[in-house]
Amino acid sequence: MMSLFAGLGRYGLWCKEFFRAVWVHGPPKGQTLHEAFRIGIQSLPILLIISAFVGTNLALQGYNAFKPLGGQRLVGMFVSLAGVRELAPIIAAAMIAAKAGTEMASQIGVMKIREQVDALEVMAVNPLAYLVAPRLIGILLMLPALTLIAIFVMLTAAYGVSVVQLGLAGHEFIQFASESIEPIDFLYGAVKAVFFGLIICTVSCYFGFHCGKGPEGVGAATNKAVVTSSVICILLNYFISELLYGGSL
Amino acid sequence: MLNALAAMGRFGAFSGAIARRMMRRPLFFGQVIEQTWHTTTRCLLPVVAVTFPFGMVMALQGLEIFRIFGAERMLASLISIATLRELSPVLASVLVAAQGGSSCAASLGAMRIKEELDATEVMAIDSIKFHVVPRVIAMTVACPLLNVAGSVAGVAGGYFTAVFIKGESGGIFMAELWSFMEPVDLYGGFVKTTLFGLMIGLISCYHGYRARGGAAGVGKAVNDTVVHSVVAFITLNYFLTSFLFGAVAP
Repeated sequence: MMSLFAGLGRYGLWCKEFFRAVWVHGPPKGQTLHEAFRIGIQSLPILLIISAFVGTNLALQGYNAFKPLGGQRLVGMFVSLAGVRELAPIIAAAMIAAKAGTEMASQIGVMKIREQVDALEVMAVNPLAYLVAPRLIGILLMLPALTLIAIFVMLTAAYGVSVVQLGLAGHEFIQFASESIEPIDFLYGAVKAVFFGLIICTVSCYFGFHCGKGPEGVGAATNKAVVTSSVICILLNYFISELLYGGSL
Repeated sequence: MLNALAAMGRFGAFSGAIARRMMRRPLFFGQVIEQTWHTTTRCLLPVVAVTFPFGMVMALQGLEIFRIFGAERMLASLISIATLRELSPVLASVLVAAQGGSSCAASLGAMRIKEELDATEVMAIDSIKFHVVPRVIAMTVACPLLNVAGSVAGVAGGYFTAVFIKGESGGIFMAELWSFMEPVDLYGGFVKTTLFGLMIGLISCYHGYRARGGAAGVGKAVNDTVVHSVVAFITLNYFLTSFLFGAVAP
């Protein structure tokens, strides 16, 4: 328990130091696009597969849930509400945490144990501004876009399953799906993604910078990065949802 | 493309080697129990910390939908079915992959890099038998156990939001909790998570066992483990759901 609070405090101090470094030095320009490419494009195939299968399962479960009530037509509504509002942002964040977040933690961890971070400092380059800032900007740019792509793929897959496997009427699916969500829901999904990106990047890089010795250290840092960032994202998701959809605004 | 096929073949051969060794004695029971205990206790907190808020979110969004129809009492059965069938098995397995699978890959990878696995072989102990088989069994056993904890936490999270935050009646929630439940909902999650756990165990051990190239290689093994196992079991999940819950057009 004590060590949890100590870790939180260290993370807070590290973030403060990081934002000050970015404020003073500014991020390097060439790196940012490169990192955005790595985070966005290289995670895309996995995200597509995962969100397609989440969409198919949403349709199956929605069908099963509404069938006893005779409301199979509501599958479209169920899929669009659950997919757009909750699952797509969470799935995109979890996959980016698993793919890009672990990569950040292990790359920075390896640099740390090979003393390349110290070498940067010796060359009067601030490692936080040089290594973390481009990754942060990259993830903040890419994660909202990936979330919207995930929404699209999820709905398309759900539509395919509903029409082909479950034999529902396609136009009803589209009608119920488009009536139950509003354009603002997409914006809310992107807002969630911005917060998740911030959490994933800072948590993963924090664990990379505080990596232990040797190969075990890198492995442990990578492990902690993915678990901690996905748990924090899901916890945070509740509060963002409560604010955006809970009627308390 | 060819690389991916070759990797699939290597993975198949590796899984075959593990399966062969599971059939033959000796099985290192001490290792099995230690690894199971280790995996379960280390994953328990993350699993509960993820399913509980997800149950809360489900109650939040579900209430809004059911309010439209004036059917708030349906909420509990939606939460229990969705949690037991999908959310808890998938989320618990994601977390087992992220926590248990990645730490398994990290420890095996570190052993490979430091040549501890070779040292085991030199001592005439089969390294797959001693290091890999217990981890695979541990993951297969731990995943269903954690799913139970995840299901309880998910339903509890739904109850928490519905009753304490949104002010629905607790009695109705508990009364409706089991109204649409069928036996398949209970053992379906068990079947799913056993297979997911087996998959996570095999994939994480495969990547850890074949790690190379120093500390960076361990990092890559961990990364590949999480990504590949999540992709694998979410794909499998679709077929299992279709099969178990019989969602096919009449």
